[in-house]
Amino acid sequence: MKTFRYERPADPAAAVTLVAGTPGARYLAGGTNLVDLMKLGVETPELLVDVSRLPFGEVEETDTGGLRIGAAVRGSRLAAHLLVRERYPALSQALLSGASAQLRNAATIGGNLLQRTRCLYFQDVSKPCNKRRPGSGCPAREGAHRDLAVLGASEHCIATNTSDLAVALAALDATVHLTGPAGVRSLPLTDLYRLPGDEPERDTVLRHGELITSVELPPPPHSARSRAPLMVYRKVRDRASYAFALVSVAAVLDVRDAAVHEVRLAFGGLAARPWRAREAEQALQGRPATEEAFVEAVRTELSACRPLRENGYKLALAERLAVAVLADLAGQG
Amino acid sequence: MGTQMRGTAAPGRTPTSLSRRSRTKGGIGESTLRPDGTLKVIGEFAYSSDLWHEDMLWGFTLRSPHPHARITSIDISKALAQAGVHAVLTHDDLPTAHTQYGLEYTDTPVLADGVVRHHGEPVALVAADHPETARRAAAKIKVDYEPLPVVHDEASALADDAPILHPNRDDHHAGHVPHPNIVHRQPIIRGNAAEAAKRADVIVTGEYEVGMQDQAFLGPESGLAVPAEDGGIDLYIATQWLHSDLRQIAPVLGLPEEKVRMTLSGVGGAFGGREDLSMQIHACLLALRTGKPVKIVYNRFESFFGHVHRHPAKLWYEHGATKDGKITHMKCRIVLDGGAYASSSPAVVGNASSLSVGPYVVDDVEIEALALYTNNPPCGAMRGFGAVQACFAYESQMDKLAEKLGMDPVEFRQKNAMSQGAIMPTGQIVDSPAPVAELLRLIKAMPLPPEKQWETARGAADVRALPGGLSNTTHGEGVVRGVGYAVGIKNVGFSEGFDDYSTARVQLQVIGGEPVATVHTAMAEVGQGGITVNAQIARTELGVTQVVIHPADTQVGSAGSTSASRQTYMTGGAVKNACEAIREKVLETGRRKFGTYHPAWATAELLLEDGKVVTDSDEPLADLVDVLGDEVIDIELQWRHRPTEAFDPVTGQGFGHVQYSFAAHRAVVEVDTELGLVKVIELACAQDVGKALNPLSVKGQIHGATVQGLGLAVMEEIIVAKDAKVCNPSFTDYLIPTILDTPAIPVEVLELADEHAPYGLRGIGEAPTLSSTPAVVAAIRAATGLPLVRVPVRPEHITGT
Repeated sequence: MKTFRYERPADPAAAVTLVAGTPGARYLAGGTNLVDLMKLGVETPELLVDVSRLPFGEVEETDTGGLRIGAAVRGSRLAAHLLVRERYPALSQALLSGASAQLRNAATIGGNLLQRTRCLYFQDVSKPCNKRRPGSGCPAREGAHRDLAVLGASEHCIATNTSDLAVALAALDATVHLTGPAGVRSLPLTDLYRLPGDEPERDTVLRHGELITSVELPPPPHSARSRAPLMVYRKVRDRASYAFALVSVAAVLDVRDAAVHEVRLAFGGLAARPWRAREAEQALQGRPATEEAFVEAVRTELSACRPLRENGYKLALAERLAVAVLADLAGQG
Repeated sequence: MGTQMRGTAAPGRTPTSLSRRSRTKGGIGESTLRPDGTLKVIGEFAYSSDLWHEDMLWGFTLRSPHPHARITSIDISKALAQAGVHAVLTHDDLPTAHTQYGLEYTDTPVLADGVVRHHGEPVALVAADHPETARRAAAKIKVDYEPLPVVHDEASALADDAPILHPNRDDHHAGHVPHPNIVHRQPIIRGNAAEAAKRADVIVTGEYEVGMQDQAFLGPESGLAVPAEDGGIDLYIATQWLHSDLRQIAPVLGLPEEKVRMTLSGVGGAFGGREDLSMQIHACLLALRTGKPVKIVYNRFESFFGHVHRHPAKLWYEHGATKDGKITHMKCRIVLDGGAYASSSPAVVGNASSLSVGPYVVDDVEIEALALYTNNPPCGAMRGFGAVQACFAYESQMDKLAEKLGMDPVEFRQKNAMSQGAIMPTGQIVDSPAPVAELLRLIKAMPLPPEKQWETARGAADVRALPGGLSNTTHGEGVVRGVGYAVGIKNVGFSEGFDDYSTARVQLQVIGGEPVATVHTAMAEVGQGGITVNAQIARTELGVTQVVIHPADTQVGSAGSTSASRQTYMTGGAVKNACEAIREKVLETGRRKFGTYHPAWATAELLLEDGKVVTDSDEPLADLVDVLGDEVIDIELQWRHRPTEAFDPVTGQGFGHVQYSFAAHRAVVEVDTELGLVKVIELACAQDVGKALNPLSVKGQIHGATVQGLGLAVMEEIIVAKDAKVCNPSFTDYLIPTILDTPAIPVEVLELADEHAPYGLRGIGEAPTLSSTPAVVAAIRAATGLPLVRVPVRPEHITGT
């Protein structure tokens, strides 16, 4: 590990000033991803600014009936939170499927959203990787890529975003609140992440020094009839637990009079960001909530897939998983 | 005072059958608890990675990023200049001309000698006052590499213009391999397969592939080397075989073996992965150079490069059978990827070849097994040792044959199953029980888990019992059940004429008014439960309750390796043998002291039980305490199993194996065919163990082996890209089963004594690893109808996309 400085400023403004003023500075929260990457030499920050004890540790109901989740809230706490379990169960499911209890106890919501890819080549500093060392090349395209991206990849990078939480938040229309050297701003969560293009080293649109302070959810969608929140997060992985998603789906579906009243669908494991399936959503809006309609809509969305030698199976997997999830939700409503 | 004997027992010495009536508590046959069990569970067991010494340095290994390259220069000056660095060593600094080591061939450089032959090969060493300092200094060593063409499979290894990876071979197989990039090749020809094939009504061929499995032990390679005042060294180390390490270490250091004193440290699992040396020589070199104790601990990443793996294999098989279900013949070709260095590849080839027929009677066979030298990671010993790969292929073939004949797969196997007296393809007669048909009957007779076993009393689904588990991917809809069977045969102990022995030193004396036995062996306890069993044997044989197990070290003779399912047989046998010699001494002393008081001393068969000398009709004659007085009886003896012989290099004939071990599995799986998810819900096992010295440990071994086989079936594989680089050296990317992936494992144990073995026991640790994998895959095939010729089977192989 490279030598680094460590600071624990007392307030957010001081933290922002420190990071903004130091090239190579990074925020540190739970450290479950960053510290691992530092040990591997993948991340080599000059300065770590610990934000885990800043006052971002609350989960509060908003005036509009939504939820504001502080960026420093630990995964285990959020997963178990009564409001989350009652109103946003998909969020709880995503967190619980995302990591072991030990990791959930340490990892924060903000950190979870900024975890880096688990591409095998990104992890190994002895190998080229455009995300880690721009311009060095992407051996994954020819090498081991069965778990990598089929959507939105570029010739420079086929990494996936590995956060389960982000997929659920994408489907829940979450907003991310930031503070930074230029003040505060807010973004839809789906706009936080970028596709690799020719700058695969940039995972997000965050500017240097910008800090996630909270994530805000609009009020949960309710079925007109049951008032039960119709949402789910499902994940397909190589073993029963503690494995990244090959494909995952987060979906919200409200069916009224056998037609799709509201639908939100997001995929994990397919792209460098949680993939909000807006084309599929549009295709389904107002349509009869039938399996045929779901299949057709999901296929439309996935027609943009550009699979490589080993990861073409993800298309069928994503389609089957999404259709099953939507059909289940439609059946419950 | 004190009797001391050293020597060698005659092989085949008839064991006295004391076990039939021992009343001494904690003897054999009881499930006495392991002394290390609780400590490991609560996290207090001291592993080799916990070793510490005042003023010690930390060693670090610089490894090659290239799978095959010439080293044109190494500049260590910047590393040496770094504060806190005490030494930097390269090949040029090795103290003697003996710069290579190896289990079977001496072909592995201690540090790369001008050429690196695999990704992760050690190139240089650093000792520094802090592990991080050592790591950083290593990063400052400048190595110039000139990449060379990479040999990564059979075609590239045997091509006309293939680079010869070891051009100056002088090993004992070098003369008869067809190509210098073949480590060893073992054909077996028996009968006339071509002629027999004419009798076949059906012929079935298949090509199968086994991925590279890792032992995945949890305690990384680690140890501490402490330089001694006499110029020698004390090495505390986690290993499987102290004396084999010693034999390889001492010449490189230029020290006589008695100056390299080794003590076994806490071992966090082995499974074959600690048979080869890792950091042993490196730590010693740095300690001798710096004059300070040096500790080396690999992290998980480095551990994946620090030990050999299971050979990936490609296997081609042809079987024929008559309409009534008798196998006519078998032909096979097994190609194992041995990687850059020989390790134990030659013995793995011997196993793959000699066990390639499986536990079946097939008189006409044409077998070829070989291991390649490539630039892939070196492969060697792992639980099952060559028999695992073959078992996956021949059991797949059995199902294919049964299907083609329209027969029940279990009945078909039973029809062809070997039994005692059968002749192996090597010509060896199986001269102890081989209850193959009975094991299959036992697993088939076990009740099947209920259909829809995931349904709870209230009608809801327990998703943990379904494919996808807590991911909630299904509540039972679209889930298909499959059942599969497999049976395997594994050899026990070292084969092919190897002089396999173990040594035990046992002392008996009175301490604090009680008779106490001390058992000293060099057996590596790697988690198999050997120290527990050794103590049980001493209690049974000597009739004492108090047994002290001396730490394993090289101050006593070799115990051989903790591998090949051999330690209870071999070191257990050595302890039993030494105890018998002790008992004779006790009775001799007793007769001398008390013989005149009771005629039974001269006439009866005498036993030691409950701290007393008793007659075979249970009459106590004397307390051990009185017999021994202040005498210390101290005996060290070697003990051998009956000799084996090498396989003929052309025909493969020979009495190659000392004992065989059999296990059978029935796997029940539920498959979500839409999403490619498999839930193994039950893996029932039946095994003949000869004699269960510790029934709980027997069950533990069967459970562990079964789960390791499951791992190979559905998830475990080291991914090596075409460029021969390792892609997933971490437990995040190399997946092993968690408890949620682990099914119920009901176990049926047979105890059919092998009269050649101590207590009739049979080595048990490996056989269940073999049959577990093909049983699971057979069950997935049954559920999906897919051919599935490669393991591990992953979701994408099931979704059909």
